[in-house]
Amino acid sequence: MYRILPWILPATALCGWGLASNLGWVPPYLLPSPGDILDTAGIYIFGTDGQGPYAGRFARDTLASLFRVGLGFGLATVCGLILGVWSGRVPAVARLLNTPVNGLRAVPGITWLPLAMVWFGIGLKTTVFLVALAAFFPIYLNAASGAAQVNPLLLQAGAMMGVDRIRGTFAILLPAAMPAIVTGLRLGLGISWAYLVLGELSGVPDGLGAVIMDARMLGRIDMIVVGIILIALMGQASDWLLKNALKFCFTSAARQI
Amino acid sequence: MNVLSDAFVSSPVLDVQGLSKVFTGSSEQTPVLSGLNFQAWPGEFICITGQSGCGKSTLLKLLAGFIPPTAGRILFKGKSITGPGPDRCVVFQEDALFPWLTVAENIGFGLKGKALSAAEKQSRVNRFLDLVGLTEFKDYLPGEISGGMKQRVALARILVLSPEVLLMDEPFAALDARTREQMQNLLLSLWEQLKQTIIFVTHDVREAVTLSDRTMVMGRITGEAIITPIHLVPIPLERPRIQSSREFMELAAQINSPNK
Ligand SMILES: Nc1ncnc2c1ncn2[C@@H]1O[C@H](COP(=O)(O)OP(=O)(O)O)[C@@H](O)[C@H]1O
Ligand SMILES: [Mg+2]
Repeated sequence: MYRILPWILPATALCGWGLASNLGWVPPYLLPSPGDILDTAGIYIFGTDGQGPYAGRFARDTLASLFRVGLGFGLATVCGLILGVWSGRVPAVARLLNTPVNGLRAVPGITWLPLAMVWFGIGLKTTVFLVALAAFFPIYLNAASGAAQVNPLLLQAGAMMGVDRIRGTFAILLPAAMPAIVTGLRLGLGISWAYLVLGELSGVPDGLGAVIMDARMLGRIDMIVVGIILIALMGQASDWLLKNALKFCFTSAARQI
Repeated sequence: MNVLSDAFVSSPVLDVQGLSKVFTGSSEQTPVLSGLNFQAWPGEFICITGQSGCGKSTLLKLLAGFIPPTAGRILFKGKSITGPGPDRCVVFQEDALFPWLTVAENIGFGLKGKALSAAEKQSRVNRFLDLVGLTEFKDYLPGEISGGMKQRVALARILVLSPEVLLMDEPFAALDARTREQMQNLLLSLWEQLKQTIIFVTHDVREAVTLSDRTMVMGRITGEAIITPIHLVPIPLERPRIQSSREFMELAAQINSPNK
């Protein structure tokens, strides 16, 4: 019973949806039936050129989106971890960074879109900029609080065992802050997908967000729903991948989360 | 023992000279230690007791080099202490093990930077795992073992570095009575094998009499800049010591009220 608990709500929703479609409670131009969605998804993923505008585009769109998310998230990770850990340990750096970071954080990411389009044009750079900007904050904030809350006894213990600053950072500070860092990275990756779609809605030719926007203009509700479901799955899959990659690479992650 | 040769070889491992510590807060100053003098000799086991808040932990942090003195100095083998180092290692009261490392990895941590072969490091780790009786638990994480075992790991991870001075700040205070007694016996047997100088803070007078060669009783400073009153009580009893013996109780009583 406990094991099926997570699936009860999705399954109910799916049944309700199928029922509503078959009984004609909702017209297909508002919400196509689950079967139609499945067909569309099949064509989108496995189809060949002759089968309509979206046939077989899945691989290309996904690769384009993954590339943008990867670039933006990677940028946010590098900046967020370095600045975050630094400000978590050095009060002067925290004082320097916290006001601008909190100021910028208060601005909803979507308000950057017009400016980003002016600066970077439509396409890769704008999307990467939006993704990186949005993912930066959770990564930075969690790294900072994780680094600040490291038990000072651990660092003292290291110092007395003859550990220098650099080894202290990589062998004590970062492993001790690892649970917070992982939380920040996962939140950052989640928000990356949201801002990916925002960036791609601005009119790039490929990508999962672009497909959704394109489908809206052609009135292909089925394709919009397929896009939404695929983005949800990609988000879940990438989170799982990130978590397990971190656990695989760092014993401090494997043993503390 | 030959008095002459003893005087010849012995110079103090730790020489505390006019040591003072004042904590400077944003608004007020807290004098904690003032004009403290004492020496610790090679292989000596000194216990420090005194009321809570009299500055025992502060003294230990000064000896470890975690904080600098306000005045006076501490000589370690003739040289002024400038910071923490593996020649003077601390066992903290609380658990300060690295929670993401196994028992064996925690013990090997301090050896990482050393110019030793991997096999030599491994054999040292194994030796100290064995000495503290944790060979069976070497692959456990600190979160999976008891408080007494954690303190044994804490002891082993510094003994593996062969420190000349062991600084211990109420290391067994959080343990239950039985475990504490086991740990005391373990510490004494390790000390008899390895012969470091041990400075051991405890608020338990019986523990001090059980363990130490000399027990230092610290007093509280009242007002400002009064010399920190200390009494050094020698404990001239054979080990193992019998807690119910008359001499033991007399010494404990003397430590409890050192002015009499
Ligand atoms: N970092 C510090 N800043 C200010 N006061 C401190 C600090 N550390 C200790 N003290 C004060 O110094 C006194 C002695 O503390 P401590 O050495 O911990 O005593 P003990 O270990 O003997 O109980 C206490 O009054 C404590 O409040
Ligand atoms: Mg204390």
